[in-house]
This record gives sequence, structure tokens and C-alpha cells, in this order.
Amino acid sequence: MIELVHLRKEYDNVIAVDDLSLTVPQGEIFGLIGPNGAGKTTSIRMASGLLAPTLGRALIAGVDVAAEPERAQQYVGYLSDFFALYEDLKVWEYLDYFAHAYKMAESEIPGRITEVIAQVNLEVKRDAMIRGLSRGMKQRLGIARAIIHRPQVMLLDEPASGLDPKARLELRHLLLSLRDQGATILISSHILTELEGFCTSIGIMERGRLVRSGSIEEVTAAASSTLQVRLSWAGDSLATIEEKLKSDTRVSDVNLTAGEGTFRFSGAEEDLAPVLAGLVTADVRVTSFGEVKQTVEELYMKLSTHEVM
Amino acid sequence: MAANFSWANLLWANPEFVRHRRAELRPVRAITVAVVVLFLCALLGLACWSYQQNELATAQRGAEEYATQAWQNRLADVQEHFAQKTWLLFYRWLIGIQGIALTFWTLFSCAQSVSGERDRKTWDFQRTTRLAPVEILTGKLLGEPVLVYFAVLCAAPITFIAGLAGGISFATVTSVFVFLAATSVFLGLGGMWLSTLLESRTRGVGLIGALALYGLTLGAYGMRDGGLPGLAAMSPLLGFIDILGASPGSALYRFPAVLFGHTIPWLLMCVLLCGSFSGWLALMLVRNLKRDYPEIRPLSRWQAVGCAAFLNFLIYALLRPAGMHDTFARQVRQGWFSDASSVAIFAVAMNGLILFLMGLATLTPQERLKVWRRKRTTGESKMFADDGLPWPWLVISGVVAYALMVWGLLAWDHALPLQMHTLQTAALCLLVVLVFVTRDVLFLQWCMLTRLRQPVVKGFMFLCLYYAAAAVIAGLAGVSSTDASYTTLALLTPVRAFDSTRELTFSGNVIAGLVLQSGVIGVILVVISNRLQRPMQSGAAA
Repeated sequence: MIELVHLRKEYDNVIAVDDLSLTVPQGEIFGLIGPNGAGKTTSIRMASGLLAPTLGRALIAGVDVAAEPERAQQYVGYLSDFFALYEDLKVWEYLDYFAHAYKMAESEIPGRITEVIAQVNLEVKRDAMIRGLSRGMKQRLGIARAIIHRPQVMLLDEPASGLDPKARLELRHLLLSLRDQGATILISSHILTELEGFCTSIGIMERGRLVRSGSIEEVTAAASSTLQVRLSWAGDSLATIEEKLKSDTRVSDVNLTAGEGTFRFSGAEEDLAPVLAGLVTADVRVTSFGEVKQTVEELYMKLSTHEVM
Repeated sequence: MAANFSWANLLWANPEFVRHRRAELRPVRAITVAVVVLFLCALLGLACWSYQQNELATAQRGAEEYATQAWQNRLADVQEHFAQKTWLLFYRWLIGIQGIALTFWTLFSCAQSVSGERDRKTWDFQRTTRLAPVEILTGKLLGEPVLVYFAVLCAAPITFIAGLAGGISFATVTSVFVFLAATSVFLGLGGMWLSTLLESRTRGVGLIGALALYGLTLGAYGMRDGGLPGLAAMSPLLGFIDILGASPGSALYRFPAVLFGHTIPWLLMCVLLCGSFSGWLALMLVRNLKRDYPEIRPLSRWQAVGCAAFLNFLIYALLRPAGMHDTFARQVRQGWFSDASSVAIFAVAMNGLILFLMGLATLTPQERLKVWRRKRTTGESKMFADDGLPWPWLVISGVVAYALMVWGLLAWDHALPLQMHTLQTAALCLLVVLVFVTRDVLFLQWCMLTRLRQPVVKGFMFLCLYYAAAAVIAGLAGVSSTDASYTTLALLTPVRAFDSTRELTFSGNVIAGLVLQSGVIGVILVVISNRLQRPMQSGAAA
């Protein structure tokens, strides 16, 4: 549904985005993460047709955004991180303006406005002037604007900035429901917890390049050659555990304190079973034992410090 | 999704127009505006009535005191036509005030339309909608000044009544309104074009730009006695006076508009000239409205050549040779152009300006030029590509300008006999001008590759400084000898080339200047090429 083909953007003698190729199939939520200046916003602006790429193409639902911008726009709902609304309009008038600007059928518009206002919980503000809304409400109205024409593709650049925790949760639910309805979402953020457990796949951008992409599991697995294992136990078995673990050549970075600890294991996940069995047979009363999954945040921090590049 | 075109969608139901109507004409505000307009109309009506009363009192006093036939006649006239004259005066004031308000407000509000949206960060959302550039353009033209349109609408019934009661025909009153609307569209297009060139809104800049544009448009009025009197029709004031019917002895008819040697009404000339310039403005706006700011390039290369040809064509179409008999004025008029060579000098000088403007309109954004250069080195792109350097297109525009000059001078041969050496010297003179313009345009292109903020504006200022410095140096050289001054001018500026248009002789200094500036062009091309070859760094986005 979203296809970016060798996208490149240059400013002066700086390459803001370099050879970005990406395909997001229908119904997926793709999270683009990276530090400020990594090229996330530039990539999304190129995908939305706001910025002409120096090289490469952006295709939305098979339509070349640069060649047929008006046709491509019918599929796209775009929201930027910093935006403003027409303060001198009422909430429903604002949505009505964009519904017409997206050339929705006249008969469909009133019902759709009501529906979208309900989706972003602004029913009580329907007839309020926009200048009187709080920042969070304005952000929600911005989201309502982006979805008013039932876009098949959502391009969201830091959409949660300015939202309180409750509104963030609501945004998450809203995006998930849009995905369930078949929408494809490309979302950028540098607040990684926002994306974890929500995106079906992620891409990590660093200095204009996409350094990793795929499902969260694939990306984290590819980034790490060892498993991190956490265990806890009852009783005073610290010395025994330390001795047992250090006798295994596949174990490293043993870090134990009273009752719990972690270590790194270079074998496969199924090879951990004999390690646990060895501890149990040595009379260690193990209360928990398992792999610690690497979070996107940890992976991102590693990438930022070039540990896995 | 309904995407069928209709005039209703483009005009009344245009979402952008509807947005402005909703935002600016809320009931309370609309009622307030209507009440204020009616109140002002009433005040104006009273003032006109008072003026006529004063006229009547003066006539009565004169008739009583002097008792002459002239005063008696004047009194009789004022008494007989009191009502009609009052209404006529009222109408003229009403339409004059509406004209000024409508045109200035339209220009001012449109001059802040796009830059204002960029400033408020609402522009990107509009660019991502399915509105076509022509729809945005129409919506903004109608919507930005919607408040003043409404005010004029409120005053319109009173204006009609005043006009009809003042003895003006319904058709004339209607024509005046139509002409006012057309004028406001023309000025609105100019304002919007100014607005697209400003990265962000600064009310001061918008106001100054709008005032300058307004002043230029109205100031064109003074050109009606020049060599190209038709250019005065850029001032809608002439068309306005023409519709209202100026008195036969007025200045308007002493200086008639000339098209291909035939005198035509000023109204027609206004429509032709403002209409064609509106067309060019609309083309530039539609081409660029949805583009990102750094990507804006007013015209494509072929459009620029077309525009240069159009402007050259105007020179010969609007020309009024000296000694031409005006059918309207029934007299032979003197003028600027007494022979073909004076027309050729003027055309070459005008082409200096036209080619420079065309060069400005076709400067290539840095990024596009880099891509063009890369493709050029691999043989994928041509020298005449749309993203290449502007100089080949300046040469084409120069050739077209010369071809039109030949055609124009031959066409005017009956009034201004053409001699062959005029064409030859004009060709050389145009070559000198072309070289200097090419140098200046390439310098601006180089400025665009630097990290200067507002590179074109700053580059233009550097050029102004250069020409000022050249004039000062020539002045200083003139202290020692006139020849030294002339040599300096010939080497650094194109002005000395114009000395030789009456004879086929160019001084060595002019040729030396031509060679020197050609060398400078070569240096600038090398510098541009080096700049385009700088290694790229991957990293933080702009």
C-alpha cells in the first residue's frame, strides 16, 4: 500500500534521506523511529507529496505521488507534529471544509463529520470555536481531519505530541481500530514506548538511512547474537549458581545479586533447558528463569551508540 | 467520491471560499458591516445633499447680488437639476470609495494569503487535500477579500439607485461593477503572486509590496503620453473613467490608446492588457501553488521564452510613432519614436529588463541543478533540460526577441522607414545586453547554490551595488579624461553599446567589454560547476 523506492532528499550538501526503500503492506502499522534529524519527517513529507524527492519515487496505493498528487491524496491522511488549525472556524466547520476539500460525496459528509467527532471524543465541542479548544483537543481535531475522508493510508508524524496519557491511549485505540478497518499506517515517533506493542513492524532511521526494518521480533533478534536470561531463586545459593554458570562456556556477563540476577547466553533458546536442569539438580530452588526480550528502546539505544552497526 | 468539475464547485461551493465566508461573515459581523456601510452611505448622501444645497445657495446669492444672465442661468440649472446632480455626485463618491476599498483590500489581503497560511502552519494541510491549484486559487481570490465584497454588495443597491437617479444608464452602472470586480481579480492575482514569493507573512512586507503594486498599477496612468501609450492601460483607472464617460475634452481623449497603429477605447485596452497579464499571473500561480517553497519556479523554460516573446510583441503592438495621426484627437502627435533606430534602441533596452526577468523566473533550485549535473555527466540529461542552467534559454529568448524586432520594424516600415544597418547594429547591441544579462543571471544562480538566506534578493542587491560601484568608478575615471570614463563604462556595463545603434560602428571598448564579460561568464560557470561537485554528507536533516 505504501511503497518508497530509493528515496533520497538533499539539502545543500547534506543528504537528509538516503536511498530509503520501504514497503508497508495493507493493514500494517509501520513505526519509523530515530533521533531528531534522522530523516523521519522528511521521509513522511516525501511520502505525502509535500516534498519532492531529489531521487526515487513514493507510491501510495500504486499511484506515484509526484506524478499524480491529487489522485494520490484521496488515499492519504496526513498529520504533522507541529500544525495549526483555522482558529476562526467551528469544529464541525473545520471538518466540513476538509471533507469538501477531499471531494467526498455531499450526502456522505454530515454523517461522516458526526462519526469522526465521536471517534475523537469531541461531541460536546462540535459547535465550539476552535480557538477555544485546549491543545489536546486541537490535536484530536487534527487527527479527525486526517481521517475524515476515510483514507486507506495514514502518514502520521509524531501524532501523539501534545496529548495527555489518556489521549495517547485513545489515539492508540483509534489507530488500531483504523488498522482493523484495513488502513495502512506509517507513523514516526521518538517516544519508543508509544510504538512498542502497537506497530506490526518498525524501521530505525539513523543519519538519513534506514538501518533496520522488519517486525519488532525480527529487528530485535537480528540486532542481538546472544540471549539475555533473567533468573531468581529462593535461599542462599549464590555461590553455587555462579559456579554452575561460569562452568558453561556459552555463558557470559553473569551479574548476580541476592535472590536474582542476569546472564548472557550465546546458544539457542532451547539450549537453555539443560542450564536450568543443571541448576535444579544442584539444589538451587529456582523461582523464575527465562529470556529477557530486548525492548525497542534498548535496541534503539544500542543503535544510537552504534553497538550493532 | 465525487470529483466531477462544475462551475458551482469552482466558485460558490469552492471549499476555500466557503471557509472564508463562514469565518469572516458570521451573522453578528455581517450585520455590523451592513449597518456601518448603510450608515456611511447615509452620511455620504447627506454630505452630497449639503454640497448641492451650498451650490444652490451660492447661485441664489450670486443671482440676487449680481443679477446677471450668467448667474440667472446657473441658478436655473441648479434648481432644475438639483435632485439629479445630487444623486450623480452621491453615485460618483460611492463608486469611487468602493473602487478604492475593493481594489486595495483585495490586493492587501491576497498579498498575505499564501504566506499567511505558511506562517500559521495550515498550508501543508491544504496542499495535501485533493483541491487542484486552480480551485485553491479561485477560492482564495474570492475568499480572502470576502468582507469587502460583502460591504460592496451592501452598498450596491444604493449605488444603483444613486446612479439611475443621477441619469446614468443601468448598463453603465452594471458595467462599472463588472469592471471593478475584474480589476480586483487582476490585483488579487498580483497580490497572491507576491504572497507565494514570501516565505512567511510579515504584515509590513505585505503592506509595502501591496502598496508598491497598487502604486505601480495606478502610476501606469502617467504613461499614456509616452511612446507606448497603451501601457497606461495597466492602470484600471483609465478603463474606469472610460466607462463613466469622460468629457470629450478630457486628458483621456487627448492621449488615446494605440494598438497596431489604430486608436482603440481605453476600456478595451485595459481589458486586453490586464486580461493577458492576469493570464500570465494565473499560469505562474497554478504552476507553483502546491509546490514546496524552495521548489517554486515561476515559469518553465518554454513558458519563459513565450513570456519574453509576448512582452516583445507588446512593444511593437503598442508602439505609437511620432507624427502619427490620432483619429480620436484629430491631430498629429509628437512622440518618442521618430525613426526605426530609436525603436530598436528602446527594444534592446527593454530586452535587457525582459531577459533579466525571464532569467529570474527560470533560476533552477539547487537540488534540481545538482541532479541535472549528475545526469549530464552520465549523458542522461541535455543542456536544454528544464532543470539545467538558464543561459541556453536566455540565448533562445534573445533570438526570439531579435526575430520579433525584425518583424516589428518591418511591420512599422510604412511609418518608420527601416534601414538595414539598424538591424545589424541592433543585433550587436542585443548581443552585448544578452552577455551582461547572462552574467547577472548566472551570478544569481550561483547565489542560489550558496548558503545565503534569501539568495536571489541578496544577489540582486549585490548586482545593484556592482552597478552603483561601476558608475562611481566611471565617474572617478572621468575626472582624468572622458575617454577613461567611457572605457570603464564599456568594460563594466552595457550602456555604451547603445551609443552605436545609429551607425554600424562599435568602439573597441565595447568589444573589449564583451570579451571581458564573456570571460566572467566562463568563470561563473566553473564556480557553479565546482559548487555542484561538492561532496555530500549524510547526516542531520535540515
